[in-house]
Amino acid sequence: MALLPWKRAAPTAGPQTSSFEELALPLLPSLYNVAAWLAQNPADAEDLVQETFLKSMRGFDTFEPNTNFKAWIFRILRNTYLTSRSGLAARRTVALEEELEAHDDSGPRLYPEAAIDRQTPELNLLRLSDHAALKAAMENLPAPLLEVILLCDVEEMKYKEIASVLEIPIGTVMSRIARARTTLRRNLQIHAAPARDSSGKGTGK
Amino acid sequence: MSDHLASTALNALADGELSADQLATANRHLADCPQCTSTALAQSLLKSATARAAQRYAPPPHLQQRLTDLLKEESSRPKTAPTQSQAQPARGLSSLGWVAALAVLLIFASLFFVQRSAQQNSPVNSPLLAEVSDLHIATLAANSPPQVISSDRHTVKPWFQGKIPFSFNLPQNLPADTTLDGANLTYLHNQPTAQLLFSIGKHRVSVFIQQATGTPAADHRLADRSGFHLTEFQTANLDVVAISDVEPARLSSLADIIEQAQTETLPPPN
Repeated sequence: MALLPWKRAAPTAGPQTSSFEELALPLLPSLYNVAAWLAQNPADAEDLVQETFLKSMRGFDTFEPNTNFKAWIFRILRNTYLTSRSGLAARRTVALEEELEAHDDSGPRLYPEAAIDRQTPELNLLRLSDHAALKAAMENLPAPLLEVILLCDVEEMKYKEIASVLEIPIGTVMSRIARARTTLRRNLQIHAAPARDSSGKGTGK
Repeated sequence: MSDHLASTALNALADGELSADQLATANRHLADCPQCTSTALAQSLLKSATARAAQRYAPPPHLQQRLTDLLKEESSRPKTAPTQSQAQPARGLSSLGWVAALAVLLIFASLFFVQRSAQQNSPVNSPLLAEVSDLHIATLAANSPPQVISSDRHTVKPWFQGKIPFSFNLPQNLPADTTLDGANLTYLHNQPTAQLLFSIGKHRVSVFIQQATGTPAADHRLADRSGFHLTEFQTANLDVVAISDVEPARLSSLADIIEQAQTETLPPPN
């Protein structure tokens, strides 16, 4: 019919689909690393990354060109993780953690900064060179603190980008980073001493 | 000495997130405070050590290949029917949920459209009907006069010169009780359109004229929408649709006269 073709002015397919692979595939190592940390299981990490790729490709039309693709795809990874089995399990345990931390924020500080942060750099250096201890300390971080550290230290994202990935205010990003590093240091103290003891025993044998 | 740097400031310093002013303030404090300096150093060391230690898991070689294949497969698939990939492992229960949700949505959407087209029982497509009747109703509702007010066809037709990429003829003699009120330049589906305004008695009529799209059509299709009658026809150069609440026969006779006017003296080709 005569007037029908007017509405047939189909939306022009954007040139984006061709560039999705170019944008996404170089981020595979980063996405997989973060997924493996969060899922704590290689098979789940693979599923997580694969689902993230499929979702982001299907939703690529909604991605605004010339905005931050890395933050966008990490947000999809993170949301996929939250609805995954391991993510749901982590959220259950984290809810408690968050409550405790929220309580910390509102009340007087439980730890005076000087007590934890003011240590000699030499002592920290010794502990930081112990990769195994550091990894163990990271594994013991609750998921919201781990993800903020991964995005900040490993992915070198700015606070603003992290806020966009996690969909939280920048102030919350800053307080989570502070909490994460304090907890890491505390965990490091716990893990570093036994590690040194066991290595001493090993060599003495 | 000023107060020690707050924990968030020390972190922001290590992360390079302090503004120039904040950085200057922090540096002034660090110059006098060995305690904060040592903490700032510890923060930086912790940050770099974490970055190294956390780069722990490399994607297995088969994953990149699988993803590349998946993306190719996905991009070759029509976008309207996204389905779960064959290569997707069965344990992705949440993805199955998505597919199920999509399938349900698609079924509802198609049911909706089938129902709508059945209700209409008309070959005239509903999005266009909606737009035409919306424009007509908006014109009736607006108190503003037409952009060109004249009952003289030699005033109304030239007014469109340079405004639309086509030309049309207005009939010399209108049916009894029918007058030309004026015209508007408007847009239908993003195409410049001439909206001619007539009155048949007290009934207002809008006649929308667009450049022909070249698709052959049967003439004088009639449709109803929201109590309005619509009729449309096509000439060699033009697509025309008329809408009014007047009885269909009188609307059709106006449409006939406008159609004849186009064939009597063809408008100059564009």
